[in-house]
Amino acid sequence: MSLCLRRYARPQHQLRGFHTSTHNRNLDAIVPNASRQWSYMPSSATISEDEIRRLAALPRRPLTLADLVRHGRPPLSEEALLSSANFTLSLLPARLAHRIQRLRNLPFIVVANPNISKIYNNYLHSLSILEPFYQKRITTLEEEEKFTEVMADLVQTHTNTIPILAQGFLECRKYVNVAEVTKFLDQHLRARIGTRLIAEQHLALHMASTPEARQHDPDPYNIGVIDTSLQPAKIVKSCEAFVGDICEFKYGVRPRINLNGTVDATFAHVPVHLEYILTELIKNAFRATIESGNEAHSIEVTIATAPDVPNSKLDALKKISVTDESVHDYSQEGLADYCTSYEGIESPINAAAPSITIRIRDRGGGIPPEILPNIWSYSFTTYDMEHAVNGNAMDDGLNAITNGGNPSSIAGLGYGLPLGRAYAEYFGGSIAVQSMYGWGTDVYLSLQGIGKTV
Amino acid sequence: MIRATTLRSGALLRLLRTPPSSFRCIATSGSSAPRWRPSSALDEWVDRPIRPMSLRQLFFFGRTLTENRLISSANFVRNELPTRIAHRLREMQKLPYAVVTNPHLSYVYELYYKSFESFRKIPVVKTIEENDSLCKVIGANLKEHLTVIPRLVMGVLECQDLMPADDMDAFVNGMLRARISRRVIAQQHLALTDTYNSPGHSPYPSSENDFVGEVLLRCNAEEIIRGCGKFAQQVCREATPGVAVPEINVRGHLEATFPYVLSHLEYIVGELLRNSVQAVMDRYKTSVQPPPPIEVLVCESPQHVVIRISDQGGGISRELLPYVWSFSKGPRSQERLASLGQVPSLAATMQEIQTMPAPGKSRDSSLSSLSTRDPKLRLGMGLPMSKVYAEYWAGGLELHSLEGYGVDAFLQISKLGNQNEQLTLRASIDAV
Repeated sequence: MSLCLRRYARPQHQLRGFHTSTHNRNLDAIVPNASRQWSYMPSSATISEDEIRRLAALPRRPLTLADLVRHGRPPLSEEALLSSANFTLSLLPARLAHRIQRLRNLPFIVVANPNISKIYNNYLHSLSILEPFYQKRITTLEEEEKFTEVMADLVQTHTNTIPILAQGFLECRKYVNVAEVTKFLDQHLRARIGTRLIAEQHLALHMASTPEARQHDPDPYNIGVIDTSLQPAKIVKSCEAFVGDICEFKYGVRPRINLNGTVDATFAHVPVHLEYILTELIKNAFRATIESGNEAHSIEVTIATAPDVPNSKLDALKKISVTDESVHDYSQEGLADYCTSYEGIESPINAAAPSITIRIRDRGGGIPPEILPNIWSYSFTTYDMEHAVNGNAMDDGLNAITNGGNPSSIAGLGYGLPLGRAYAEYFGGSIAVQSMYGWGTDVYLSLQGIGKTV
Repeated sequence: MIRATTLRSGALLRLLRTPPSSFRCIATSGSSAPRWRPSSALDEWVDRPIRPMSLRQLFFFGRTLTENRLISSANFVRNELPTRIAHRLREMQKLPYAVVTNPHLSYVYELYYKSFESFRKIPVVKTIEENDSLCKVIGANLKEHLTVIPRLVMGVLECQDLMPADDMDAFVNGMLRARISRRVIAQQHLALTDTYNSPGHSPYPSSENDFVGEVLLRCNAEEIIRGCGKFAQQVCREATPGVAVPEINVRGHLEATFPYVLSHLEYIVGELLRNSVQAVMDRYKTSVQPPPPIEVLVCESPQHVVIRISDQGGGISRELLPYVWSFSKGPRSQERLASLGQVPSLAATMQEIQTMPAPGKSRDSSLSSLSTRDPKLRLGMGLPMSKVYAEYWAGGLELHSLEGYGVDAFLQISKLGNQNEQLTLRASIDAV
């Protein structure tokens, strides 16, 4: 089947891309096979077009916390480790291919931007290096070892995707439709959360199952990237210290947090996610407090836990232990709901209400009404560009926190809230912001623990 | 043969006379279906547009009250009321037959039609005496319609399987908003007439007059919160003696004032505070510790006043949270239906259940008697009703629940009073 016919055999949604055209059909009549060579940018990718197309058309399903623990608590047996590797292989290529397709649907001028094209090439590269592995099942520990190295490379390559993408879109802001890019970013970043989780989970499980790791006592609480006895209060305190240090260094004042509620509550979740979200929210609260001169008023953080979330660590462990009876193949479940929609829902639908709610209450004066509608958008408009370019010391300091002092940081571009919400919503939580202009802001972060999805 | 049929249908009718709470209106008895009427009169009024008004219009109009102004107001009322009722009637007529033939809803329908007929026939008002007769008609209608709210909500609860819940909620919201609007217009005019007729009235604006009709020019948030708070505490204390009642602390911008229809504000704040007090009392009734206080914050900005009510009553459970704003859905609908059946008809027995006078100078008796009801009567409509009232004058009501800890309620009030009444949800057209 010639390329042009195959193009029309694609699902309808893919034809809505920006660069659809019918000229190839005519070209093929004049110069046979001319249209087979799409003039993509040179890259080190060896993956073929057909393969990308095939993978992108595979059904995708959302990731649940249960997926991440289904292989058991480390150190894993050989069988479990291989099962984890194969499970990862069953999910990743389709996700990467889909991202590539979506990136290709962006306007040409956008993908031509050096930053965006770098990210695009990263995805191509990653898919290429995975190809030898997913063509067949992994059956030996040696193969699994090699695979894990590839995974580590993948995770490393994509670490700085967000600032680079942000920079790219900023540079292209004149040429893009705000709504479309917001939608793209939202979907892309949410998909990225899941993809990285799958990869990092396997990496963590592998590292916890190596012969060296086996010499130590097994960790009773961690299952890969998941901490089954995560205590939000601890994370709040560490974020308070971290953000407070920067504030003290830069501005000479250090707002305080007053922690109350069920301080010893624990639940099962991914610590790095919670850290990111809390850092962003606490950073916002500290900044507002300092800017309004109210550092004498401490920020109130309340932790609430719903009645059936166990407060004892033992109960939490019992709830998520994977036995032979409880392991089952989720790959076909719920497919019909998720894999046919154009939007490609990338995160699980929130079926149950959250288990832990954290309220952060500051006296920072609230959010001005004209800014309020925009707090959830991925800012990359001209206004924000000026703001970023002429960024004041306050912004630079506080934004250096979350960018790790990266010189190519997105100073002042405010990705924190929408990204934080993407993390929270990924496993069925949410963030709500209630501003009282003239007084302060209340932020409600709710998170669902793992017990419900098993 | 015919006799046998009659006997059987007689028995059937007896069987059908079951108590309202278990009555499913699919098995309709003919007596509850509303009368058929020719629609030409209604069509004519439905075609007229509604003229939305704002709080500011209400009180500016009434500040200099001359005879001419009063007559103008009378004619405005004479036209607006039947127009607005006509729109509501048409909305009801478009609901499924099975719904409108529900005994409670058809009762409401008949009441509305009767009002419509009586208002549309009133001739142009030209003199004070004619205005007085108009006022008599208005007064009688207001009184007769006191029972509308419980009947409407009961009817909706009984019909919850007959219509999608969202459509039902939209219908009830529309009805309530329209009802608020008519009563505001009507009561405002009655109050203006009273003012005009009262001895020593001068047509010049007087700054000592805090009220212009129903609108209190300077509602002080702190005063109202404290008043409603005391009242809620008292009602709850009497209902469950021996259980400690939580304190209510008010802080923030305590001098904030704004114009508002006082009875509405007292209803909303009263409902929210009562919910909080009850929740805290329930949670701490067996505890030796004193219950934690309810913290109320008043925040004033150039255009808004926000009142935040934070309690530690344990939050709203996740089964109930999705239904908290709905009139029709929810796991508690059967209990709500039973409780609603116990709400007195509001006109006759108000004196009996009212153990103390409602705070403030409210005139709207339907709201005040709802506020004074026995706290054990969980009607389940305080929140959705409060939301309708709050949003009516372009404000808002939001709830955030920290399950296992408590609830934060945010009441947002537009300070300037220059926003038009919100007769429809989210700017959707009030299509006829």
